[in-house]
Amino acid sequence: MQELLRVEHLKKYFANQKAVDDISFEVAPGQIFGLLGPNGAGKTTLIRMITGIFYPDSGTITFQGKPFDPIHDVRHIGYMPEERGLYKKMKIGEHALYLAQLKGLPRPEAMKQVKHWFERLEMQSWWNKKVEDLSKGMSQKLQFVSAVLHEPKLIILDEPFSGLDPVNSNLIKDEIHRLAKNGSIILFSTHRMEQVEEICEHIILVNKGKKILDGTVGDVKQQYKQNNFRIGISPLTEDQIAQAPFDLIRASTQDQIVRIHEGKSTNEVLRFLLDHSISVRSFEELLPSLNEVFIRLVGDSPTARQFQSAP
Amino acid sequence: MNKTFIIIKREYLTRVRKKTFIISTLLFPLLYVGLIFGMGYLAENSKQVLNIALVDQSGYFGQAVLDEENTIDPSSKLSLISEKAADVFRDPESAGFDGFIRIPALDWQRGNDSMWLESKKSYGSGTTAAVQAKLNRIWSRIKNDSLSIDESKQAILQGSQLSIRPRNLEDDTANANLAEVIGYIAGLLIYMILLIYGSQVMMGVMEEKTNRIAEVLVSSVRPFQMMMGKILGIGLVALTQFLLWIGFVFLIYNITMATGNGLGSASAMVGAMQNVITGINVPLILFCFGFYFLGGFFFYSSLYAAIGSAVNEDLREAQSLSFPITMLVIISIALMTTAIANPTGPIAVWASLIPFSSPIVMMARIPYGVPGTVPWWQLGLSMLLLILGFLATVWFAAKIYRTGILMYGKKPSWGEMLKWVFRKS
Repeated sequence: MQELLRVEHLKKYFANQKAVDDISFEVAPGQIFGLLGPNGAGKTTLIRMITGIFYPDSGTITFQGKPFDPIHDVRHIGYMPEERGLYKKMKIGEHALYLAQLKGLPRPEAMKQVKHWFERLEMQSWWNKKVEDLSKGMSQKLQFVSAVLHEPKLIILDEPFSGLDPVNSNLIKDEIHRLAKNGSIILFSTHRMEQVEEICEHIILVNKGKKILDGTVGDVKQQYKQNNFRIGISPLTEDQIAQAPFDLIRASTQDQIVRIHEGKSTNEVLRFLLDHSISVRSFEELLPSLNEVFIRLVGDSPTARQFQSAP
Repeated sequence: MNKTFIIIKREYLTRVRKKTFIISTLLFPLLYVGLIFGMGYLAENSKQVLNIALVDQSGYFGQAVLDEENTIDPSSKLSLISEKAADVFRDPESAGFDGFIRIPALDWQRGNDSMWLESKKSYGSGTTAAVQAKLNRIWSRIKNDSLSIDESKQAILQGSQLSIRPRNLEDDTANANLAEVIGYIAGLLIYMILLIYGSQVMMGVMEEKTNRIAEVLVSSVRPFQMMMGKILGIGLVALTQFLLWIGFVFLIYNITMATGNGLGSASAMVGAMQNVITGINVPLILFCFGFYFLGGFFFYSSLYAAIGSAVNEDLREAQSLSFPITMLVIISIALMTTAIANPTGPIAVWASLIPFSSPIVMMARIPYGVPGTVPWWQLGLSMLLLILGFLATVWFAAKIYRTGILMYGKKPSWGEMLKWVFRKS
């Protein structure tokens, strides 16, 4: 499929740091794309270049097959930044209309879209409420609507679920899937790894301005698996462990989590268990969670600890 | 351009619909009306009839003459007393008088004696002046009688007067006294606009930054459009308020003119205003006011916008960073007072050419007359420099704004902000 967005050798240096240092990737229409990385990794700078807020120092951005034109292409981009807010004194309906018009929608069209989206997300009754009277979750919904109601080809969502309750989270998640199905790209930036595994098909990981990982969620997990298995057996004796072709990582009465030695196959493990007359109830490969992959890749830096502490 | 217009519309409408705007816009004309009618009313009703005792040692004053003058000018009542003078001196009030004047032994040919109006309360200079004028009229009658000047001769003496007024050869409509007043008012109005609406621009930009809506907006519009939309929107609010006020004043002026007869001093004031308006070059002054208002507003508000974009939510940060700019406006007012005292002096000329002070200082000079006091070349150069000046500040501010609006954390110094301006985009 023809890619909708292609980023090549993008660089942006600030006075004392390389915020984005030679990052390339491409995204096809309909893809939900995860942009991951610790704080200060350069995600926001990267996003700001893709939304036309910053000019890259070097490198190119190709959007819909043509060089990215910040003035005209913003019409096709929807952006929900992490640092987001609204005018407190404005009425909700007017606010959504205003942002839609700034995206370039003529007023009647903007009105139609706002009404349509308010209906979809059951927000009609809010029209005349003031923004300051909204709860955090409600204003989050309004921000989401503002980011997508001009039917953008590229939707960039930075931590879209923060502050949403599970019901509204699911509502937004369904909308994200629906928008992707209709051919929009969703560029999804977050710290919440379980959301990434759930939503994204393709991810890149950025650290210290460089891309350190690029692939589908499945591939990444395969690539970074550590030969860890969960075996449904009773606890082993000291003797058995010493002879086994694996190391015991975690033991319990029900099952044992082991790491198979380099160069040994799963069949050798099974043969060892059979030879020792240990009855096997189950045998299952453990793929690393994205969280684990990231901690390994980013290393034990302060930024990595921030990942570890993330739920 | 279209997006800038959408921003202007929002900035304008949200401000114009605010209660504070409506209140302050209505309050001004009400105060204006209150001032005119209130002062007229007070002038009519607060007149106090002073009952003053004259203790005459000169022997010229007679009760008959005093009574006659008391009926002509009832603002005070003068009565001659000869008995119980000591009681009056001790306590005039219990003797039924507000105060007393001791008239020494005067000579009618050289009556230059200074006397006291002695009383328990203090009276203002206006009241004493009225009593003095009345006393002098009586004194004139006494002198006239002594010199045997009859009434027809008196009429000649009083009627023929010479007066001198200043007239500018270059500009018939220029009038120095009036120019001073109009210059002050125009300069002060521009000063107020720059400070009040300039800080509104600053607060507006800070609000967007604090609200965290700035990044949402810059992904849709250029930062330059955002800034210009805000400046133009607020500029229009200021303009609207002024036009409404001028409209109100005009309306009240016409109403009082139509119903003026019964209102005594109020209509006299309106009459005086009419003289003022016909006495100056109104179209030129209004045009220049509009020009310097807009030019000065763009010049300063773009700087205020830049500061608003650079600071965080802390108002004190904004104040300390905007201090140099506020100082420029205040210095302009100081220069204006010098310029009004000497409108063709070097300070006046230079300050009315340099863009940072020209909106205030030139506006104070123009009422003295163009091209008499302000030659056309000075006016033209001043306008050109102001246009170049605000283009420069808008450019400068746009650079700071672009970086500052997305920058959170430490307050930048002026040095860092200058770096933002001069680094490549």
